Amino acid sequence: MFLAWNEIIKNKLRFTLIIGVLMLVAYLVFFLSGLASGLASLNREAVDKWDADAIVLTEESDQSLTQSSFGSDAVDTIDADETAVLGQLNAIAQTGDEKANVSIFGINSDEFIMPEITEGKEFTGANQVVAGDALKDDGFKLGDTISLSSTEEKLEIVGFTDEARFNAAPVLYTDLDTFEQVKFGEAAGSESQISGVAVRTDDISGVTNEEDLAVIETETFIESLPGYTAQSLTLNFMIYFLFAISSVIVAIFLYVLTVQKISMFGVMKAQGIPSGYLARSVIAQTAILAAVGVVVGLGLTLLTGAFLPSAVPVGFDIPTMLIYGLVLIVVAILGAVFSVLTIVKIDPLKAIGG
Amino acid sequence: MAVLELNRVKKSFGTGHKKVDALKETNFHAERGELIAVIGPSGSGKSTFLTIAGGLLSPTDGDILINDTNIATLNEKQLSKIRLKEIGFILQASNLVPFLTVEKQLKLLDKVKKDNLNKGQLEQLYKDLGIGDLRAKYPSDLSGGERQRVAIAKALYSNPSIILADEPTASLDSDRAYEVMELLKEETKNKKTTTIVVTHDIRLIDYCDKVYKMVDGVLELQQP
Repeated sequence: MFLAWNEIIKNKLRFTLIIGVLMLVAYLVFFLSGLASGLASLNREAVDKWDADAIVLTEESDQSLTQSSFGSDAVDTIDADETAVLGQLNAIAQTGDEKANVSIFGINSDEFIMPEITEGKEFTGANQVVAGDALKDDGFKLGDTISLSSTEEKLEIVGFTDEARFNAAPVLYTDLDTFEQVKFGEAAGSESQISGVAVRTDDISGVTNEEDLAVIETETFIESLPGYTAQSLTLNFMIYFLFAISSVIVAIFLYVLTVQKISMFGVMKAQGIPSGYLARSVIAQTAILAAVGVVVGLGLTLLTGAFLPSAVPVGFDIPTMLIYGLVLIVVAILGAVFSVLTIVKIDPLKAIGG
Repeated sequence: MAVLELNRVKKSFGTGHKKVDALKETNFHAERGELIAVIGPSGSGKSTFLTIAGGLLSPTDGDILINDTNIATLNEKQLSKIRLKEIGFILQASNLVPFLTVEKQLKLLDKVKKDNLNKGQLEQLYKDLGIGDLRAKYPSDLSGGERQRVAIAKALYSNPSIILADEPTASLDSDRAYEVMELLKEETKNKKTTTIVVTHDIRLIDYCDKVYKMVDGVLELQQP
Protein backbone atom coordinates (compact mmCIF):
# COMPACT_ATOMS: atom_id res chain seq x y z
CA MET A 1 0.00 0.00 0.00
CA PHE A 2 2.92 2.34 0.82
CA LEU A 3 4.41 2.21 -2.68
CA ALA A 4 1.01 2.11 -4.36
CA TRP A 5 -0.34 5.17 -2.59
CA ASN A 6 2.83 7.23 -2.92
CA GLU A 7 3.04 6.55 -6.64
CA ILE A 8 -0.55 7.68 -7.10
CA ILE A 9 0.07 10.85 -5.10
CA LYS A 10 3.21 11.69 -7.11
CA ASN A 11 1.66 10.93 -10.52
CA LYS A 12 -1.80 12.39 -10.02
CA LEU A 13 -2.53 13.15 -13.66
CA ARG A 14 -1.52 9.71 -14.92
CA PHE A 15 -3.58 7.90 -12.32
CA THR A 16 -6.50 10.31 -12.65
CA LEU A 17 -6.68 9.36 -16.32
CA ILE A 18 -6.68 5.65 -15.43
CA ILE A 19 -9.36 6.25 -12.79
CA GLY A 20 -11.28 8.20 -15.42
CA VAL A 21 -11.31 5.22 -17.78
CA LEU A 22 -12.39 2.88 -14.97
CA MET A 23 -15.01 5.39 -13.91
CA LEU A 24 -16.46 5.50 -17.43
CA VAL A 25 -16.60 1.70 -17.59
CA ALA A 26 -18.28 1.60 -14.17
CA TYR A 27 -20.67 4.37 -15.26
CA LEU A 28 -21.64 2.36 -18.32
CA VAL A 29 -22.08 -0.83 -16.30
CA PHE A 30 -24.23 0.93 -13.69
CA PHE A 31 -26.27 2.72 -16.30
CA LEU A 32 -26.88 -0.48 -18.25
CA SER A 33 -27.86 -2.28 -15.07
CA GLY A 34 -30.27 0.57 -14.31
CA LEU A 35 -31.65 0.34 -17.81
CA ALA A 36 -31.99 -3.45 -17.53
CA SER A 37 -33.74 -3.09 -14.20
CA GLY A 38 -35.96 -0.29 -15.48
CA LEU A 39 -36.97 -2.15 -18.60
CA ALA A 40 -37.62 -5.29 -16.55
CA SER A 41 -39.85 -3.30 -14.20
CA LEU A 42 -41.68 -1.92 -17.17
CA ASN A 43 -42.71 -5.44 -18.03
CA ARG A 44 -43.22 -7.00 -14.66
CA GLU A 45 -43.99 -4.52 -11.92
CA ALA A 46 -47.74 -5.20 -11.93
CA VAL A 47 -47.06 -8.94 -11.65
CA ASP A 48 -44.47 -8.42 -8.88
CA LYS A 49 -47.12 -6.47 -7.00
CA TRP A 50 -49.39 -9.56 -6.85
CA ASP A 51 -46.78 -11.33 -4.76
CA ALA A 52 -48.22 -14.55 -6.15
CA ASP A 53 -46.38 -17.87 -6.35
CA ALA A 54 -47.90 -18.95 -9.65
CA ILE A 55 -50.59 -18.28 -12.18
CA VAL A 56 -53.03 -20.75 -13.70
CA LEU A 57 -53.57 -20.38 -17.45
CA THR A 58 -55.03 -22.62 -20.09
CA GLU A 59 -52.67 -25.29 -21.35
CA GLU A 60 -53.05 -24.20 -24.94
CA SER A 61 -52.18 -20.54 -24.18
CA ASP A 62 -48.48 -21.39 -24.16
CA GLN A 63 -47.94 -19.37 -20.97
CA SER A 64 -49.45 -16.24 -22.53
CA LEU A 65 -51.99 -14.41 -20.38
CA THR A 66 -53.46 -12.68 -23.42
CA GLN A 67 -54.13 -16.00 -25.16
CA SER A 68 -55.62 -17.69 -22.12
CA SER A 69 -59.39 -17.72 -21.56
CA PHE A 70 -61.60 -19.95 -19.42
CA GLY A 71 -64.73 -19.83 -17.28
CA SER A 72 -64.42 -18.39 -13.81
CA ASP A 73 -66.04 -21.52 -12.31
CA ALA A 74 -62.67 -23.26 -12.88
CA VAL A 75 -61.50 -21.45 -9.75
CA ASP A 76 -63.44 -24.07 -7.75
CA THR A 77 -61.04 -26.76 -9.05
CA ILE A 78 -57.98 -24.82 -7.88
CA ASP A 79 -56.41 -25.74 -4.55
CA ALA A 80 -54.32 -22.89 -3.10
CA ASP A 81 -54.08 -20.79 0.05
CA GLU A 82 -55.31 -17.73 -1.83
CA THR A 83 -56.60 -17.19 -5.32
CA ALA A 84 -57.29 -14.07 -7.39
CA VAL A 85 -59.05 -14.19 -10.73
CA LEU A 86 -57.77 -12.06 -13.55
CA GLY A 87 -59.09 -11.07 -16.94
CA GLN A 88 -56.64 -9.30 -19.17
CA LEU A 89 -57.00 -7.29 -22.34
CA ASN A 90 -54.76 -4.93 -24.25
CA ALA A 91 -56.28 -1.74 -25.59
CA ILE A 92 -55.58 1.83 -26.58
CA ALA A 93 -57.05 4.32 -24.17
CA GLN A 94 -57.94 7.87 -25.16
CA THR A 95 -59.02 10.91 -23.23
CA GLY A 96 -59.28 14.11 -25.18
CA ASP A 97 -56.24 14.19 -27.40
CA GLU A 98 -54.20 11.90 -25.16
CA LYS A 99 -53.70 8.29 -26.19
CA ALA A 100 -51.86 5.44 -24.52
CA ASN A 101 -51.46 1.68 -24.75
CA VAL A 102 -53.00 0.11 -21.68
CA SER A 103 -53.49 -3.33 -20.21
CA ILE A 104 -56.89 -3.77 -18.63
CA PHE A 105 -57.06 -6.09 -15.61
CA GLY A 106 -60.48 -7.37 -14.66
CA ILE A 107 -60.33 -8.42 -11.00
CA ASN A 108 -62.38 -8.89 -7.86
CA SER A 109 -61.70 -6.00 -5.49
CA ASP A 110 -61.66 -8.30 -2.46
CA GLU A 111 -58.85 -10.49 -3.86
CA PHE A 112 -55.13 -9.92 -3.56
CA ILE A 113 -54.52 -8.51 -7.05
CA MET A 114 -56.45 -5.40 -6.01
CA PRO A 115 -53.75 -2.71 -5.69
CA GLU A 116 -53.20 -0.08 -3.00
CA ILE A 117 -54.74 3.21 -4.00
CA THR A 118 -52.32 6.13 -4.00
CA GLU A 119 -54.79 8.75 -5.19
CA GLY A 120 -58.62 8.77 -5.44
CA LYS A 121 -60.60 5.68 -4.46
CA GLU A 122 -61.25 2.06 -5.38
CA PHE A 123 -63.63 1.20 -8.19
CA THR A 124 -67.06 0.44 -6.73
CA GLY A 125 -69.39 0.50 -9.70
CA ALA A 126 -69.59 -0.31 -13.37
CA ASN A 127 -67.11 1.29 -15.76
CA GLN A 128 -64.86 2.66 -13.01
CA VAL A 129 -61.13 2.01 -13.18
CA VAL A 130 -58.06 2.46 -11.03
CA ALA A 131 -55.18 3.44 -13.33
CA GLY A 132 -51.44 2.95 -13.06
CA ASP A 133 -49.90 6.33 -12.33
CA ALA A 134 -47.63 6.04 -15.38
CA LEU A 135 -50.70 7.23 -17.28
CA LYS A 136 -50.38 10.60 -15.56
CA ASP A 137 -47.27 11.19 -17.69
CA ASP A 138 -49.48 10.66 -20.75
CA GLY A 139 -51.88 13.39 -19.58
CA PHE A 140 -54.52 11.18 -17.92
CA LYS A 141 -55.94 12.43 -14.62
CA LEU A 142 -58.46 11.62 -11.94
CA GLY A 143 -62.08 11.89 -13.16
CA ASP A 144 -61.15 11.55 -16.83
CA THR A 145 -63.46 9.55 -19.02
CA ILE A 146 -61.59 7.08 -21.16
CA SER A 147 -62.71 5.70 -24.48
CA LEU A 148 -61.18 2.50 -25.74
CA SER A 149 -60.15 1.47 -29.21
CA SER A 150 -62.07 -1.81 -29.32
CA THR A 151 -65.38 -0.93 -27.70
CA GLU A 152 -67.99 1.73 -27.24
CA GLU A 153 -67.72 1.41 -23.45
CA LYS A 154 -66.50 4.49 -21.57
CA LEU A 155 -64.46 4.16 -18.41
CA GLU A 156 -63.91 6.67 -15.62
CA ILE A 157 -60.65 6.99 -13.71
CA VAL A 158 -61.61 6.99 -10.03
CA GLY A 159 -58.19 6.26 -8.59
CA PHE A 160 -54.50 5.82 -9.26
CA THR A 161 -52.03 3.26 -8.04
CA ASP A 162 -48.26 3.14 -8.34
CA GLU A 163 -45.96 0.53 -9.94
CA ALA A 164 -48.64 -0.81 -12.20
CA ARG A 165 -47.28 -1.66 -15.63
CA PHE A 166 -47.62 -4.95 -17.45
CA ASN A 167 -45.62 -5.72 -20.57
CA ALA A 168 -44.62 -2.05 -20.78
CA ALA A 169 -48.22 -0.79 -20.70
CA PRO A 170 -49.89 0.99 -17.74
CA VAL A 171 -52.64 -1.11 -16.16
CA LEU A 172 -56.29 -0.15 -15.76
CA TYR A 173 -57.82 -2.16 -12.91
CA THR A 174 -61.56 -2.68 -13.06
CA ASP A 175 -64.16 -5.21 -11.92
CA LEU A 176 -64.84 -8.39 -13.86
CA ASP A 177 -68.24 -7.26 -15.14
CA THR A 178 -66.78 -4.11 -16.68
CA PHE A 179 -63.91 -6.14 -18.10
CA GLU A 180 -66.39 -8.52 -19.75
CA GLN A 181 -68.36 -5.66 -21.19
CA VAL A 182 -65.19 -4.17 -22.62
CA LYS A 183 -63.92 -7.46 -24.00
CA PHE A 184 -67.12 -9.14 -25.24
CA GLY A 185 -69.69 -6.33 -25.37
CA GLU A 186 -73.18 -7.71 -26.03
CA ALA A 187 -71.73 -11.19 -26.42
CA ALA A 188 -70.82 -11.42 -22.74
CA GLY A 189 -72.33 -14.59 -21.28
CA SER A 190 -73.74 -15.41 -17.87
CA GLU A 191 -70.50 -17.03 -16.75
CA SER A 192 -67.48 -14.75 -16.39
CA GLN A 193 -64.61 -15.47 -18.76
CA ILE A 194 -61.21 -14.89 -17.20
CA SER A 195 -57.64 -15.09 -18.46
CA GLY A 196 -55.98 -16.60 -15.44
CA VAL A 197 -55.97 -17.18 -11.72
CA ALA A 198 -53.06 -15.96 -9.60
CA VAL A 199 -52.40 -18.26 -6.64
CA ARG A 200 -50.48 -18.12 -3.39
CA THR A 201 -49.49 -21.58 -2.24
CA ASP A 202 -46.62 -23.63 -0.88
CA ASP A 203 -47.47 -26.57 -3.14
CA ILE A 204 -47.53 -25.46 -6.74
CA SER A 205 -47.72 -29.01 -8.08
CA GLY A 206 -51.00 -29.59 -6.26
CA VAL A 207 -52.80 -26.46 -7.47
CA THR A 208 -54.94 -28.16 -10.14
CA ASN A 209 -55.54 -31.53 -11.74
CA GLU A 210 -57.42 -30.12 -14.71
CA GLU A 211 -55.72 -31.27 -17.92
CA ASP A 212 -56.59 -28.14 -19.86
CA LEU A 213 -55.08 -25.86 -17.21
CA ALA A 214 -51.39 -25.22 -16.57
CA VAL A 215 -49.77 -23.84 -13.43
CA ILE A 216 -46.87 -21.55 -14.22
CA GLU A 217 -44.53 -20.22 -11.59
CA THR A 218 -44.49 -16.43 -11.45
CA GLU A 219 -40.86 -16.07 -12.57
CA THR A 220 -41.43 -18.42 -15.52
CA PHE A 221 -44.57 -16.51 -16.42
CA ILE A 222 -42.62 -13.23 -16.43
CA GLU A 223 -39.82 -14.70 -18.51
CA SER A 224 -42.45 -15.78 -21.05
CA LEU A 225 -43.71 -12.22 -21.53
CA PRO A 226 -43.08 -11.18 -25.15
CA GLY A 227 -39.55 -9.79 -25.56
CA TYR A 228 -38.75 -9.89 -21.85
CA THR A 229 -36.07 -12.61 -21.87
CA ALA A 230 -34.43 -11.41 -25.10
CA GLN A 231 -34.24 -7.88 -23.74
CA SER A 232 -32.87 -8.97 -20.35
CA LEU A 233 -30.31 -11.29 -21.92
CA THR A 234 -29.11 -8.60 -24.31
CA LEU A 235 -28.53 -6.05 -21.56
CA ASN A 236 -27.01 -8.61 -19.20
CA PHE A 237 -24.61 -9.79 -21.92
CA MET A 238 -23.55 -6.19 -22.46
CA ILE A 239 -22.86 -5.88 -18.74
CA TYR A 240 -20.89 -9.15 -18.62
CA PHE A 241 -18.85 -8.11 -21.67
CA LEU A 242 -18.13 -4.82 -19.96
CA PHE A 243 -16.76 -6.73 -16.97
CA ALA A 244 -14.40 -8.61 -19.28
CA ILE A 245 -13.48 -5.43 -21.15
CA SER A 246 -12.73 -3.55 -17.92
CA SER A 247 -10.48 -6.41 -16.82
CA VAL A 248 -8.56 -6.21 -20.11
CA ILE A 249 -8.34 -2.40 -19.95
CA VAL A 250 -6.90 -2.54 -16.43
CA ALA A 251 -4.54 -5.34 -17.44
CA ILE A 252 -3.22 -3.28 -20.37
CA PHE A 253 -2.81 -0.08 -18.36
CA LEU A 254 -1.07 -1.79 -15.46
CA TYR A 255 1.10 -3.87 -17.74
CA VAL A 256 2.31 -0.75 -19.56
CA LEU A 257 2.97 0.96 -16.23
CA THR A 258 4.78 -2.12 -14.93
CA VAL A 259 6.94 -2.46 -18.03
CA GLN A 260 7.97 1.19 -17.61
CA LYS A 261 9.04 0.37 -14.05
CA ILE A 262 10.90 -2.89 -14.70
CA SER A 263 14.25 -1.27 -14.03
CA MET A 264 13.02 0.27 -10.78
CA PHE A 265 11.47 -3.02 -9.62
CA GLY A 266 14.71 -4.78 -10.58
CA VAL A 267 16.75 -2.41 -8.42
CA MET A 268 14.34 -2.97 -5.53
CA LYS A 269 14.64 -6.72 -5.96
CA ALA A 270 18.43 -6.39 -6.05
CA GLN A 271 18.16 -4.54 -2.77
CA GLY A 272 16.31 -7.52 -1.36
CA ILE A 273 12.76 -6.19 -1.44
CA PRO A 274 10.69 -9.35 -1.99
CA SER A 275 8.67 -9.88 -5.18
CA GLY A 276 5.66 -10.57 -2.94
CA TYR A 277 5.83 -7.05 -1.50
CA LEU A 278 6.03 -5.51 -4.98
CA ALA A 279 3.20 -7.72 -6.24
CA ARG A 280 1.00 -6.76 -3.28
CA SER A 281 1.76 -3.14 -4.05
CA VAL A 282 0.48 -3.53 -7.63
CA ILE A 283 -2.64 -5.33 -6.38
CA ALA A 284 -3.26 -2.61 -3.78
CA GLN A 285 -2.80 0.07 -6.41
CA THR A 286 -5.29 -1.65 -8.70
CA ALA A 287 -7.79 -1.99 -5.87
CA ILE A 288 -7.45 1.73 -5.03
CA LEU A 289 -7.84 2.81 -8.67
CA ALA A 290 -10.78 0.47 -9.28
CA ALA A 291 -12.53 1.39 -6.01
CA VAL A 292 -12.23 5.13 -6.70
CA GLY A 293 -13.36 4.63 -10.32
CA VAL A 294 -16.35 2.56 -9.19
CA VAL A 295 -17.41 4.99 -6.44
CA VAL A 296 -17.16 8.01 -8.75
CA GLY A 297 -18.96 6.05 -11.49
CA LEU A 298 -21.72 5.14 -9.03
CA GLY A 299 -22.12 8.74 -7.92
CA LEU A 300 -22.20 9.97 -11.50
CA THR A 301 -24.81 7.34 -12.42
CA LEU A 302 -27.10 8.35 -9.56
CA LEU A 303 -26.60 12.00 -10.43
CA THR A 304 -27.49 11.33 -14.06
CA GLY A 305 -30.50 9.30 -12.94
CA ALA A 306 -31.81 12.25 -10.94
CA PHE A 307 -31.90 14.41 -14.07
CA LEU A 308 -33.31 11.86 -16.52
CA PRO A 309 -36.87 12.39 -17.82
CA SER A 310 -39.38 9.87 -16.47
CA ALA A 311 -39.85 8.50 -19.98
CA VAL A 312 -36.40 6.86 -19.73
CA PRO A 313 -36.97 3.47 -18.14
CA VAL A 314 -34.14 3.33 -15.61
CA GLY A 315 -34.47 1.81 -12.19
CA PHE A 316 -31.34 1.83 -10.04
CA ASP A 317 -31.26 -1.14 -7.73
CA ILE A 318 -28.58 -0.22 -5.16
CA PRO A 319 -27.77 -3.80 -3.97
CA THR A 320 -27.33 -4.92 -7.61
CA MET A 321 -25.14 -1.90 -8.33
CA LEU A 322 -23.01 -2.60 -5.26
CA ILE A 323 -22.53 -6.20 -6.38
CA TYR A 324 -21.60 -5.04 -9.90
CA GLY A 325 -19.20 -2.50 -8.38
CA LEU A 326 -17.57 -5.22 -6.33
CA VAL A 327 -17.32 -7.45 -9.42
CA LEU A 328 -15.65 -4.59 -11.32
CA ILE A 329 -13.05 -4.23 -8.57
CA VAL A 330 -12.43 -7.99 -8.54
CA VAL A 331 -12.04 -8.22 -12.34
CA ALA A 332 -9.71 -5.21 -12.26
CA ILE A 333 -7.57 -7.04 -9.71
CA LEU A 334 -7.62 -10.11 -11.96
CA GLY A 335 -6.36 -7.82 -14.71
CA ALA A 336 -3.40 -6.95 -12.50
CA VAL A 337 -2.28 -10.58 -12.45
CA PHE A 338 -0.27 -10.11 -15.68
CA SER A 339 1.68 -7.32 -14.06
CA VAL A 340 2.28 -9.41 -10.96
CA LEU A 341 3.66 -12.24 -13.12
CA THR A 342 5.91 -9.72 -14.90
CA ILE A 343 7.27 -8.51 -11.57
CA VAL A 344 7.92 -12.03 -10.33
CA LYS A 345 9.89 -12.77 -13.51
CA ILE A 346 12.08 -9.63 -13.37
CA ASP A 347 15.74 -10.58 -13.10
CA PRO A 348 17.33 -7.95 -10.84
CA LEU A 349 20.67 -8.49 -12.53
CA LYS A 350 19.31 -7.62 -15.98
CA ALA A 351 17.32 -4.74 -14.56
CA ILE A 352 20.41 -3.06 -13.12
CA GLY A 353 22.34 -3.71 -16.29
CA GLY A 354 24.57 -6.52 -15.05
CA MET B 1 36.82 -12.71 10.75
CA ALA B 2 36.14 -12.06 7.07
CA VAL B 3 32.77 -10.47 6.37
CA LEU B 4 32.94 -11.45 2.72
CA GLU B 5 34.97 -14.32 1.37
CA LEU B 6 35.19 -15.77 -2.13
CA ASN B 7 36.89 -19.15 -2.38
CA ARG B 8 37.89 -20.52 -5.81
CA VAL B 9 34.96 -18.72 -7.41
CA LYS B 10 34.64 -19.00 -11.19
CA LYS B 11 32.06 -17.72 -13.61
CA SER B 12 31.74 -18.78 -17.23
CA PHE B 13 29.14 -17.85 -19.80
CA GLY B 14 28.22 -20.09 -22.75
CA THR B 15 29.51 -23.56 -23.59
CA GLY B 16 31.95 -25.23 -25.96
CA HIS B 17 33.91 -22.93 -28.22
CA LYS B 18 31.58 -20.05 -27.24
CA LYS B 19 32.54 -20.39 -23.58
CA VAL B 20 33.79 -17.17 -21.97
CA ASP B 21 35.47 -17.19 -18.57
CA ALA B 22 34.27 -13.88 -17.19
CA LEU B 23 35.78 -14.60 -13.80
CA LYS B 24 38.68 -16.99 -13.49
CA GLU B 25 39.39 -18.77 -10.22
CA THR B 26 39.11 -15.99 -7.68
CA ASN B 27 39.92 -15.82 -4.00
CA PHE B 28 38.98 -12.71 -2.10
CA HIS B 29 38.28 -11.67 1.43
CA ALA B 30 37.19 -8.43 3.07
CA GLU B 31 37.27 -7.54 6.75
CA ARG B 32 34.92 -5.35 8.78
CA GLY B 33 35.69 -1.61 8.39
CA GLU B 34 37.63 -2.02 5.13
CA LEU B 35 37.07 0.16 2.09
CA ILE B 36 38.21 -1.81 -0.94
CA ALA B 37 38.48 -0.71 -4.53
CA VAL B 38 38.22 -3.08 -7.47
CA ILE B 39 39.59 -1.36 -10.55
CA GLY B 40 40.06 -2.43 -14.10
CA PRO B 41 39.06 -1.61 -17.67
CA SER B 42 35.57 -2.05 -19.03
CA GLY B 43 34.74 -5.69 -19.73
CA SER B 44 37.44 -7.01 -17.41
CA GLY B 45 34.92 -8.77 -15.12
CA LYS B 46 34.49 -6.15 -12.37
CA SER B 47 30.71 -6.12 -12.55
CA THR B 48 30.59 -9.92 -12.70
CA PHE B 49 32.65 -10.01 -9.52
CA LEU B 50 30.36 -7.48 -7.81
CA THR B 51 27.12 -9.18 -8.83
CA ILE B 52 28.43 -12.57 -7.69
CA ALA B 53 29.55 -11.07 -4.37
CA GLY B 54 26.11 -9.48 -4.01
CA GLY B 55 24.20 -12.70 -4.63
CA LEU B 56 22.70 -11.44 -7.87
CA LEU B 57 24.58 -13.90 -10.06
CA SER B 58 25.38 -17.53 -9.28
CA PRO B 59 28.99 -18.63 -9.71
CA THR B 60 29.85 -21.55 -11.97
CA ASP B 61 32.02 -22.91 -9.20
CA GLY B 62 33.28 -21.97 -5.74
CA ASP B 63 31.94 -20.67 -2.43
CA ILE B 64 30.83 -17.17 -1.44
CA LEU B 65 30.70 -16.67 2.31
CA ILE B 66 28.90 -13.71 3.80
CA ASN B 67 29.37 -13.78 7.56
CA ASP B 68 30.07 -17.52 7.24
CA THR B 69 26.89 -18.27 5.23
CA ASN B 70 27.66 -19.82 1.86
CA ILE B 71 25.30 -17.95 -0.44
CA ALA B 72 26.34 -19.96 -3.51
CA THR B 73 23.96 -22.72 -2.40
CA LEU B 74 20.94 -20.54 -1.61
CA ASN B 75 17.76 -20.17 -3.69
CA GLU B 76 16.44 -16.81 -4.93
CA LYS B 77 14.16 -16.26 -1.95
CA GLN B 78 16.98 -16.93 0.53
CA LEU B 79 19.32 -14.73 -1.48
CA SER B 80 16.76 -11.94 -1.42
CA LYS B 81 16.70 -12.11 2.38
CA ILE B 82 20.50 -12.06 2.56
CA ARG B 83 20.65 -9.04 0.25
CA LEU B 84 18.08 -7.23 2.35
CA LYS B 85 19.79 -8.03 5.63
CA GLU B 86 23.49 -7.99 4.83
CA ILE B 87 24.11 -5.95 1.69
CA GLY B 88 23.62 -2.33 0.74
CA PHE B 89 23.84 -1.55 -2.97
CA ILE B 90 24.94 1.77 -4.44
CA LEU B 91 24.51 1.75 -8.17
CA GLN B 92 25.90 3.88 -10.95
CA ALA B 93 22.84 6.04 -11.52
CA SER B 94 21.70 5.96 -7.89
CA ASN B 95 18.43 4.27 -8.95
CA LEU B 96 16.18 5.84 -6.39
CA VAL B 97 12.43 5.22 -6.54
CA PRO B 98 11.24 8.24 -8.56
CA PHE B 99 7.92 8.71 -6.77
CA LEU B 100 9.25 8.59 -3.19
CA THR B 101 10.66 11.55 -1.30
CA VAL B 102 14.09 11.16 0.26
CA GLU B 103 12.53 10.37 3.62
CA LYS B 104 10.21 7.79 2.11
CA GLN B 105 13.06 6.12 0.19
CA LEU B 106 14.28 5.04 3.62
CA LYS B 107 10.84 4.40 5.06
CA LEU B 108 10.29 1.87 2.28
CA LEU B 109 12.96 -0.30 3.88
CA ASP B 110 11.01 -0.17 7.17
CA LYS B 111 8.14 -1.87 5.35
CA VAL B 112 10.20 -4.95 4.56
CA LYS B 113 12.86 -5.05 7.28
CA LYS B 114 12.66 -4.31 10.99
CA ASP B 115 16.23 -3.84 12.27
CA ASN B 116 17.14 -0.71 10.35
CA LEU B 117 18.79 2.31 11.99
CA ASN B 118 16.83 3.83 14.87
CA LYS B 119 15.55 7.41 14.85
CA GLY B 120 18.66 8.86 16.47
CA GLN B 121 21.00 6.99 14.14
CA LEU B 122 18.90 8.09 11.17
CA GLU B 123 19.17 11.73 12.21
CA GLN B 124 22.94 11.29 12.49
CA LEU B 125 23.02 9.69 9.04
CA TYR B 126 21.09 12.64 7.58
CA LYS B 127 23.59 14.95 9.25
CA ASP B 128 26.68 12.99 8.17
CA LEU B 129 25.54 12.88 4.58
CA GLY B 130 24.25 16.46 4.58
CA ILE B 131 20.81 15.52 3.27
CA GLY B 132 18.68 16.61 6.23
CA ASP B 133 17.16 19.46 4.23
CA LEU B 134 16.32 17.18 1.30
CA ARG B 135 13.89 14.90 3.14
CA ALA B 136 10.76 16.17 1.43
CA LYS B 137 12.30 16.29 -2.02
CA TYR B 138 11.82 13.81 -4.85
CA PRO B 139 14.82 12.41 -6.77
CA SER B 140 13.95 14.58 -9.75
CA ASP B 141 14.48 17.66 -7.55
CA LEU B 142 18.02 16.60 -6.57
CA SER B 143 21.38 17.14 -8.21
CA GLY B 144 23.51 14.14 -9.22
CA GLY B 145 25.64 14.46 -6.10
CA GLU B 146 22.61 14.75 -3.84
CA ARG B 147 21.03 11.70 -5.44
CA GLN B 148 24.18 9.69 -4.86
CA ARG B 149 24.32 10.79 -1.22
CA VAL B 150 20.71 9.68 -0.78
CA ALA B 151 21.62 6.36 -2.41
CA ILE B 152 24.43 6.00 0.14
CA ALA B 153 21.96 6.82 2.94
CA LYS B 154 19.62 4.17 1.58
CA ALA B 155 22.40 1.61 1.46
CA LEU B 156 23.49 2.43 5.03
CA TYR B 157 20.01 2.75 6.55
CA SER B 158 19.41 -1.00 6.55
CA ASN B 159 22.56 -1.36 8.65
CA PRO B 160 24.24 -3.84 6.29
CA SER B 161 27.54 -5.53 6.94
CA ILE B 162 28.62 -5.04 3.30
CA ILE B 163 28.19 -2.16 0.90
CA LEU B 164 28.69 -2.90 -2.77
CA ALA B 165 29.10 0.20 -4.91
CA ASP B 166 29.13 -0.10 -8.69
CA GLU B 167 30.78 2.97 -10.23
CA PRO B 168 29.17 5.24 -7.61
CA THR B 169 30.89 8.33 -8.94
CA ALA B 170 30.41 7.71 -12.66
CA SER B 171 27.77 10.39 -13.12
CA LEU B 172 29.52 13.00 -10.96
CA ASP B 173 32.10 15.69 -11.60
CA SER B 174 35.47 15.36 -9.83
CA ASP B 175 34.59 17.43 -6.77
CA ARG B 176 31.34 15.52 -6.22
CA ALA B 177 33.13 12.22 -6.85
CA TYR B 178 35.72 12.96 -4.16
CA GLU B 179 32.97 14.10 -1.82
CA VAL B 180 31.10 10.82 -2.28
CA MET B 181 34.25 8.76 -1.71
CA GLU B 182 35.00 10.76 1.43
CA LEU B 183 31.51 10.02 2.70
CA LEU B 184 31.85 6.30 1.91
CA LYS B 185 35.16 6.21 3.74
CA GLU B 186 33.74 7.95 6.81
CA GLU B 187 30.67 5.75 6.99
CA THR B 188 32.76 2.63 6.47
CA LYS B 189 34.95 3.53 9.39
CA ASN B 190 32.18 4.88 11.62
CA LYS B 191 29.85 1.97 11.13
CA LYS B 192 32.50 -0.72 10.72
CA THR B 193 30.95 -1.70 7.42
CA THR B 194 32.80 -3.45 4.62
CA THR B 195 32.62 -1.37 1.46
CA ILE B 196 33.66 -2.59 -1.96
CA VAL B 197 33.77 0.01 -4.72
CA VAL B 198 34.03 -1.12 -8.30
CA THR B 199 35.40 1.68 -10.44
CA HIS B 200 37.54 2.40 -13.46
CA ASP B 201 38.51 5.79 -11.95
CA ILE B 202 41.95 5.26 -10.43
CA ARG B 203 41.84 8.70 -8.78
CA LEU B 204 39.52 7.19 -6.17
CA ILE B 205 41.92 4.54 -4.93
CA ASP B 206 43.60 6.95 -2.51
CA TYR B 207 40.53 6.67 -0.30
CA CYS B 208 40.70 2.88 -0.11
CA ASP B 209 42.42 0.50 2.29
CA LYS B 210 43.04 -2.16 -0.34
CA VAL B 211 42.97 -2.11 -4.10
CA TYR B 212 42.31 -5.08 -6.34
CA LYS B 213 42.85 -4.98 -10.05
CA MET B 214 40.74 -7.03 -12.41
CA VAL B 215 42.27 -7.92 -15.77
CA ASP B 216 40.61 -10.43 -18.12
CA GLY B 217 38.71 -12.08 -15.29
CA VAL B 218 41.68 -12.37 -12.98
CA LEU B 219 41.54 -10.46 -9.70
CA GLU B 220 44.87 -9.42 -8.21
CA LEU B 221 45.59 -7.57 -4.98
CA GLN B 222 47.72 -4.51 -5.72
CA GLN B 223 50.67 -3.79 -3.51
CA PRO B 224 50.48 -0.43 -1.68
